[in-house]
Amino acid sequence: MDVKSTTGDASGVTDWVDRETLHGYLFALPYVAVFSVFLLYPLLKGLYMSFFEWDLLQPAQSEFVGIENYVTLLSDPLFWKALKNTAWFVVLTVPSLLIVSMIIALGINRGIKGKKVLQFFYFVPYVMTVSIVGFLWLQLYASNGVFTVYLGRFVGGILTNQAFALPALSLLTVWWQAGFYFAVLLASRQNVPERLYEAAQLDGAGPWRQFWDITLPQMKNAIIFVLIAGTVFQFQVFGQVETMTSGGPNEATITLVYYLYQLGFKTFDLGYGAAVGYVILLILIGVSVLNYAIVGQGVDE
Amino acid sequence: MSSALDSAAERFSLDRETLYRIGVYVVMYGLAFLFAIPLFRMFTLSMTPSDQLFGFSWIPGSITVQYWVEIFTGHDLIYRWIWNTLVISTITTTLVLIVDSTVAFALTRLDWPGKRVLFGIIIASFMVPPHVNIIPLFTLITQMGWTNSYWAIILPFTATPLGVFLLVQFFRDIPEELEESARMDGFSTFRIYAQIILPLSLSVITALALFMFVWSWNQYLWPLIVLNNDVAYTLPVGATTLQSVYADDANRLMAGLAVISLPLFVVFLLFQDKLISSVQMQAGTG
Repeated sequence: MDVKSTTGDASGVTDWVDRETLHGYLFALPYVAVFSVFLLYPLLKGLYMSFFEWDLLQPAQSEFVGIENYVTLLSDPLFWKALKNTAWFVVLTVPSLLIVSMIIALGINRGIKGKKVLQFFYFVPYVMTVSIVGFLWLQLYASNGVFTVYLGRFVGGILTNQAFALPALSLLTVWWQAGFYFAVLLASRQNVPERLYEAAQLDGAGPWRQFWDITLPQMKNAIIFVLIAGTVFQFQVFGQVETMTSGGPNEATITLVYYLYQLGFKTFDLGYGAAVGYVILLILIGVSVLNYAIVGQGVDE
Repeated sequence: MSSALDSAAERFSLDRETLYRIGVYVVMYGLAFLFAIPLFRMFTLSMTPSDQLFGFSWIPGSITVQYWVEIFTGHDLIYRWIWNTLVISTITTTLVLIVDSTVAFALTRLDWPGKRVLFGIIIASFMVPPHVNIIPLFTLITQMGWTNSYWAIILPFTATPLGVFLLVQFFRDIPEELEESARMDGFSTFRIYAQIILPLSLSVITALALFMFVWSWNQYLWPLIVLNNDVAYTLPVGATTLQSVYADDANRLMAGLAVISLPLFVVFLLFQDKLISSVQMQAGTG
């Protein structure tokens, strides 16, 4: 190294290294700039705001309240209700999504006739906007909608029933999102080597055995992805609630992000809203870490 | 004797196999039928005359395209919303590709102090769900006076860690030799990025572009917050206007929803396989 740096050649090398550093910074700059202004800065500002009773029109007049917003949150029944509803929604939605999209993926993989058409119907809801999905399903759940006509006698008005409203939102979410997870699972299933199944058949394993002993373990990574990504995404459920129930009936469908939206943009409780946003962030990070911990164990085995 | 038994067993297993196949067909077509119901209802209701809306019927006694015509001719705002959405999605997609691919290039093909730290930060930002930030982000946008503008929707979600991650994985696997021989030929860093790395990554870039386009087109929560003037609306937010105008006119509402769903249905029909593979790509990011 030392020898090199004394030669004429090496000054070219050091010059090049400097240039590479410079170019590295230049190429990283656009992302870093946008990232800092629109992600990092709001993240820090949100933390700052959460210690104030924030004044929207005159931020300078905001009153510092310390951790009061966080204390309020602990005894805020709406927050706990929203947390409970969100957790219930995730529990209802994510396993259903996994099962439905798994059935679709395995079925499509069998190479049945009309595969393209089937795939179209399974995937197309995913490209629809949540507001369109919400208004469409509002019609299906209406008094003369297909749902009420066939199931009304058992469940009554489904969206006005405190017990059924959230499962009803979960059902349309499965319809709306299954295409995404089906695509992921299909790719994973197609990567399972066929010889494993051939060997199992020679050993006399039936379809059920093959599913448990080959398909599930071989698709483990994709299934884990579906569970983790699904949990994080469904945890942020908002559009279905906003377009269909506005959190009702009697707050039975109020969810965390919907509550956050109400605080920020309906009641303009910005400081408190920022605190709620931070707590949601911490919960989600906790969920992710927990997921990875559990998954990490599973992978080691 | 034993061969007779064998063939009997074979026939039996063949029958079981056939039964099994029938089961698969029933489940797959039955499920697809259920999945199709909402869309089927949207299209039939949009063509059902108002006097037949009160009860319920799968197929209306008569159909009309009147409401479609009304939506196409009577709502100039819809064209405006399509335009807004198209501009926003196109610019968002383009910017995402630029900022994500340049930083991914810097992270994989160039050596500079701090790149590991930056990559770590980008990976960590995966954990920050975009929507928990909306309140401070909104105060930032108001300060900048960007309410109702395109930039308010485009810029906040341009720095997506997902894109960086996908591109980093792809760029990393491009062999060094190509780059080295290009440097010998006197290629500048920018030419290596633009004329070697990018063209070699076309498949992953188009998949990312398609996914970002659809994602941006369908954004709802954030545009709902920063847009409060119906001229500035995007299609997803415009749907709420249709809903409030036609709350009691299921046929007109469904015609409106069908019309504003059409652009992405077309995109989907054109790029079905590519879009599906763009989704599949993401599972690799874990």
